[in-house]
Amino acid sequence: MKSKKKQVFIVLWIAVIVLLGVLAIVVGSPGKSETVQETMRDAVLHETGQISLFGLKNVNPGLISGMVVTAILLVAAALIRIFAIPRFKMVPGRFQMLIEQAVGLFDNLAKNNSPWRHGFLGVYLFAVGTYIFVGTLFELIGVQVITVSGNPITLPAPLSDVNGAIAIGCLSYLVIMSGGIAGNGVKGIGKTLKEFSLPISMSFRLFGALLSGLLVTELVYYYVQLSVVLPVVIGVLFTLLHALIQTYVLTMLTALYYGEVSEPDHKEKVKKAKKAKKAA
Amino acid sequence: MNIPLNIDWQQILLHLLNFAILAGGLYLLLFKPVKAFMAKRESYYQNMDNEAKQKLQEAETLKVNYAQQLDGAAQEIAQKKADAQKAIEASRSEQLKMAKDEADRILESARANSEREHDKMLRDAQKEISDLAITAAEKLLLKGEGSPYEQFLNAANAEKRGEPDA
Repeated sequence: MKSKKKQVFIVLWIAVIVLLGVLAIVVGSPGKSETVQETMRDAVLHETGQISLFGLKNVNPGLISGMVVTAILLVAAALIRIFAIPRFKMVPGRFQMLIEQAVGLFDNLAKNNSPWRHGFLGVYLFAVGTYIFVGTLFELIGVQVITVSGNPITLPAPLSDVNGAIAIGCLSYLVIMSGGIAGNGVKGIGKTLKEFSLPISMSFRLFGALLSGLLVTELVYYYVQLSVVLPVVIGVLFTLLHALIQTYVLTMLTALYYGEVSEPDHKEKVKKAKKAKKAA
Repeated sequence: MNIPLNIDWQQILLHLLNFAILAGGLYLLLFKPVKAFMAKRESYYQNMDNEAKQKLQEAETLKVNYAQQLDGAAQEIAQKKADAQKAIEASRSEQLKMAKDEADRILESARANSEREHDKMLRDAQKEISDLAITAAEKLLLKGEGSPYEQFLNAANAEKRGEPDA
């Protein structure tokens, strides 16, 4: 009896799916307001799809995404700080373990790559890693906003905006340079300037990776026929995967270069050791 | 200047501002307190570990002390046993000596007593003999019968036979 009911349910379910699919194709869409080329070009250049920032200025949707992500993260952090952290136990539960793992992951990354100087680096890696990861997953939520031209768009990942990617790439380079200065003074600046291509490569790696994800998603959603089943793979799995990969790549590169430029010079070490011996 | 890809410096700065707010907030609200808690837990377990190590060290020291004390006690017992053995030996030899002395004294005394008895008996016998001789001589002299020697013999025989003096 039970298996018969189950069979009836499955048949009905498939029938409803098929019916809805056929109806969606038969009814059709009211017509595209822009071609796929225009949509994809706008996703890169944001010539028309801009959003008004509190009426002050028209900005790319990526900046609005960045602000929303920041707000979400800060609210979540405040809630965790108020409700979870005071209840932390010596033997951690699942949630506590997750938070400690997140903090420990970036802190250890900083410690392992720059054992001589890692306090600020750990904080930066934690912040930038969280921003990239959550910002990339943010596009899965699909928050709708209206552009200044009146078209609705879904807020993309903050770093799929070239300005956001350049900001993070250059900031990472500046952080690396600050490590060089703190560790080796003027020599540290020289060491960092040797890697002059780093800000460009970091910025455009982020931009390219996240933009390609956005473009593939735009392409898939542009055609109704592709928007059944396929988004589960494209939208969720790809987004998850490149959120992880981009977080790992940027934080790892920053930690690696930071450790390299902030490493104390061997000759200076020997000089210091000799001075210490003489003083003794 | 028209920058390719519509790069906008103001928006880059706005992105930086946004990230600075996020980084500061995450540091104050999450990173710092969680790290402080982790450090606190680490020091708690470190202290526990140190205390355990210290207690272990103390236990080891106590064990060594007790072992030394046990060794000392065993040596003391052996020493006392040896002393007691010596005392027993000394007491036994003294008692033996005393017994021997006593025995010697008793023997000496017995010997002296027997000597004295012997001398006394000898003296008594001699005296008796001399008394008898005197008595016999007197009788002979008094009766004048035969030679004195014969008289003496007769008198002795008569005495031996229990006859009254003639």
